[in-house]
Amino acid sequence: MSDVVAQKTEEQEPEVDLSIADAIIDKYIDIPGNLMPVLQAAQDEYGYIPRTVADHIAERLNVYPSQIYGVLTFYAQFHLKPRGKFIIRVCVGTACHVQGAPRIVETFFDKLGIGHAETTPDLRFTFEKVACLGACGMAPLAMVNDSTYGAMTVQKVDDIVADYQQRPLK
Amino acid sequence: MVNLTIDDKQVTAPKTATIYEAAKMNGVNIPILCHDKKLKPFGACRMCLVEVEQMKGRQIPACTTPVTEGMIIRTSTPDIVKARKMVLELLLLNHPLDCPVCDKAGDCDLQNLTYEYKVDTNRFVDEKFHHEIDYNNPLIERDMNRCVLCGKCARICDEIVSFGALTFIDRGIETKIGCEFEDGLNCEFCGSCISVCPVGSLLARPFKFKARFWSLTKQKSVCGYCGTGCNLTLGVKDNKVLTTLYDENQGFHKGQLCVRGRFGYQFINSDKRLTSPLVRRNGRLIEASWEEALEVVAARLKGGNSVAALGSSRLTNEELTLFKKLMLENVGSSNFDHSAGYAHSALTSGFARSFGTTASPASILDIQKTDLLFVIKTDSYETHPVIGFEINMAVKNRGIKLNIISDKRGKLSKLPGANTFVHKPGSEVSVLNAIAKSILDDKLAVGSVDSVQGYAELAEALKAYTPEAVSALCGLTAEDIKKIAREYASADKALILFPIGQGYVSHNQEMSCAVANLSILTGKLGKEGCGVLCMSEKNNSQGAVDMGFFPRADGMNAQQILDACKNGSVKTLFVAGENPIVSYPDKSKVTTALEAVEFLIVSELFMTETAAMADVVLPACSFAEKDGTFTSTDRRVQYVSPSIRKNSNCKTDFEIFSALISKLGGQTPVSSSLLFSEISSNTDGYAGMTHVSLRKESAFASVNVKPKLIVPKASAAVSSEPGKLAMVTGSALYHSGTLSQFGEGPMHVCPEAYVEMSRKDAANLKIHDKDIVTVSSPTGSLKLNVKVTARIPEGLVFVPYHFSAAPVNAIWDGAPVTMVSLTK
Ligand code: SF4
Ligand code: SF4
Ligand code: SF4
Ligand code: FES
Ligand code: FES
Repeated sequence: MSDVVAQKTEEQEPEVDLSIADAIIDKYIDIPGNLMPVLQAAQDEYGYIPRTVADHIAERLNVYPSQIYGVLTFYAQFHLKPRGKFIIRVCVGTACHVQGAPRIVETFFDKLGIGHAETTPDLRFTFEKVACLGACGMAPLAMVNDSTYGAMTVQKVDDIVADYQQRPLK
Repeated sequence: MVNLTIDDKQVTAPKTATIYEAAKMNGVNIPILCHDKKLKPFGACRMCLVEVEQMKGRQIPACTTPVTEGMIIRTSTPDIVKARKMVLELLLLNHPLDCPVCDKAGDCDLQNLTYEYKVDTNRFVDEKFHHEIDYNNPLIERDMNRCVLCGKCARICDEIVSFGALTFIDRGIETKIGCEFEDGLNCEFCGSCISVCPVGSLLARPFKFKARFWSLTKQKSVCGYCGTGCNLTLGVKDNKVLTTLYDENQGFHKGQLCVRGRFGYQFINSDKRLTSPLVRRNGRLIEASWEEALEVVAARLKGGNSVAALGSSRLTNEELTLFKKLMLENVGSSNFDHSAGYAHSALTSGFARSFGTTASPASILDIQKTDLLFVIKTDSYETHPVIGFEINMAVKNRGIKLNIISDKRGKLSKLPGANTFVHKPGSEVSVLNAIAKSILDDKLAVGSVDSVQGYAELAEALKAYTPEAVSALCGLTAEDIKKIAREYASADKALILFPIGQGYVSHNQEMSCAVANLSILTGKLGKEGCGVLCMSEKNNSQGAVDMGFFPRADGMNAQQILDACKNGSVKTLFVAGENPIVSYPDKSKVTTALEAVEFLIVSELFMTETAAMADVVLPACSFAEKDGTFTSTDRRVQYVSPSIRKNSNCKTDFEIFSALISKLGGQTPVSSSLLFSEISSNTDGYAGMTHVSLRKESAFASVNVKPKLIVPKASAAVSSEPGKLAMVTGSALYHSGTLSQFGEGPMHVCPEAYVEMSRKDAANLKIHDKDIVTVSSPTGSLKLNVKVTARIPEGLVFVPYHFSAAPVNAIWDGAPVTMVSLTK
């Protein structure tokens, strides 16, 4: 059979546990407009939306898989790839830019070996450049999960990475 | 109606009209890009801006704004022209402007508007898009660099096709059209998205670099595949059909086509077409002249009753009539039939008894006018995809209720609010009888029903079909059955649809009587939006029935003809356009019969498996090379004229039969038009039709119903066997009969037979999607690819027919349900 087959067929064994998705879907199944809450809950549980989960939700809620993907790519809150335990965000807004954000970004890239919107293979770090975080007085600014680090320097990058390298993953 | 002023002209328009529609009705053309009359208003492109005085001269989109009384509208003030120019400048900013190599050039809304608004400079500069072009599928090229984000493709795929393959991805300047997870397109390939795309973002790959749009001659025709009878516009150049073109005003379906109609045309100019008559000499088929070949054939036809014929329901009405005349009057035999002898029985024996006519008392147009659609088999979508679109639109746009009884779920099951009642395979007649019984028991029948002929017998016979009793064998609950009965009977208007065809043995005369009973009992007959539509398989299946190309009391049917070939009482068999070796049940029986018959004549487009066994092969013509009429499933009679000249040395079957009649000393018809006049005066409901009138506009043959209640006999329940699965056959979406094997489009996307099975059975048997398994039945075994899908219930497997390379008839002897085992 050619690669293009007549009808959507089964993906091979999913690696993720779909029973978690099922529990979420069961909760919302009869509520109109349930797609967003289901996707949000799924993201909370899995940390991102795996493809098999998206396909499963599409099938159970009877919406097009394409429609789900449209929603997932429209809202920045959804992630399609696994995310690290520690999300490092560096502001590249105007104030931070002027105060040297590009060097901070470069240094993180070097230290972590990943680029923008990427995750280390051990799922420890995800790195993201973000626009103005609204604390321009502290420029250049970085955040790790909910902790804020102002007046960033190259040295501070080393410290932050070293600090979070120590922390347990589980 | 409201009064309004458009460009200083006083005009009126219906209350519900938009400004765009009101202007159009009154001869003022407002440019549009994202608007399509078939789709819901969208208002994204701002090409259609107009000024409305009451809105302080603000510019508003004409395509989404409804008219109101007294509106004063200006459609092309200097400000508006400026605004439109700006819209175009912005669209052209990132657009590649590669018109010289774009197949849309000449037919492109963006190109035409740019020209019309003389946008020869651009005040802005920006980078061009750098989207990767999707060549991942064989039929549709997707070049998002040319996209203007009108959303029409995604909208038509949702609103009409209901597949939902395409969507807007990302947002802002990054926005593009694509599939989930940026996959390649893997859909129905109906091409609806191509047809509405205003630019060259979506193009038919088989047509790429074949011809410029403006060099094509546009020929109106009728699709040669299924019984829906869609109208086609063929793009012809140098006597070759190079593509199909979209005409949004064509046919009841407004230019919508399925994958077969749109992409399956290549058989017409295929280089595999037969080009010369062949006569078998010393065991080999040798090229011969027409004269020689016809002489040999004519000599063999002088055998009276020892001659038999099988015709294809793809021949025109005129050809089938002539074939019948040849057999009855010149050969002297009444042994002729079509569609394996059983695929027309729902009409010729079922409706004949129940309705006193061999046609359906409903039309495709009733789908949008009903309140409840009752569909038997989800396969109705696959067999007649454009009727499927009509069902999609009825359910999605009009909120028409949809109940389905079927042995498997299907695409129709996914429509909003659709109820699919999945019953055990082969139990459809019992289920329908139980519904009838429930209608009687719950007093849902119309008051006058006991005066209908056959009422007492039916009421008596239905005693054995209480919902409770049937529940045990069909797998539906008694409550389900009662619910179906209640909803059907209590709907103001209800329409029943079911497909027939060579893959649907159980959709026979018994089932059609059982269906007819429901409509008679509840009075859902003879009114708009009511009735029963028996969806006939091929483009002229209904015509073949109307022309009476099936045996009368003194003739043999297709199965008897095959038996007679084997036992020697039929000595000459003339097969026109059928390929029984692949499409009739029980391959070995058919092969033995065709080997045994003394002389086999085949008229065909291709060297099919059947033609390869013939003693004489006559190269015939496709629908695009001849004139005549086809009758669609709802008895719309449509005239086709030749779109191209005949392929090399071929003759139409009309010419072949005429020549043979004259060789046998008979009177040949002067022309197909004159023969049609004869047909219209002899055929029920065709009165008054002529080629001249049909050339202008197709016409419905009227159907005169004389209802009678008939006792339908349910076939015995299929007993399950441990370790075995119940196999049913039928049609795949991409195919129609065996002809679509010669259409490259369908073969690109669905090249091989497969066995579709449930997740549960797959898991139990440790079989995975795309595995190759051996499917064995008492009559043989077949290697097939596996498709594991969610729609198939446990215990069932589905194998489509159509395919010569893995013919289902090697493991299927014509039983509605065959027990098979699957091994890796
Ligand atoms: S070809 Fe048909 S099913 Fe496929 S994306 Fe286009 S409209 Fe949708
Ligand atoms: S691909 Fe064509 S139809 Fe679809 S949004 Fe783009 S321009 Fe419109
Ligand atoms: S195959 Fe049938 S549904 Fe498809 S385009 Fe032809 S007539 Fe229409
Ligand atoms: S620019 Fe960085 S916080 Fe505002
Ligand atoms: S045509 Fe009216 S906004 Fe696009």
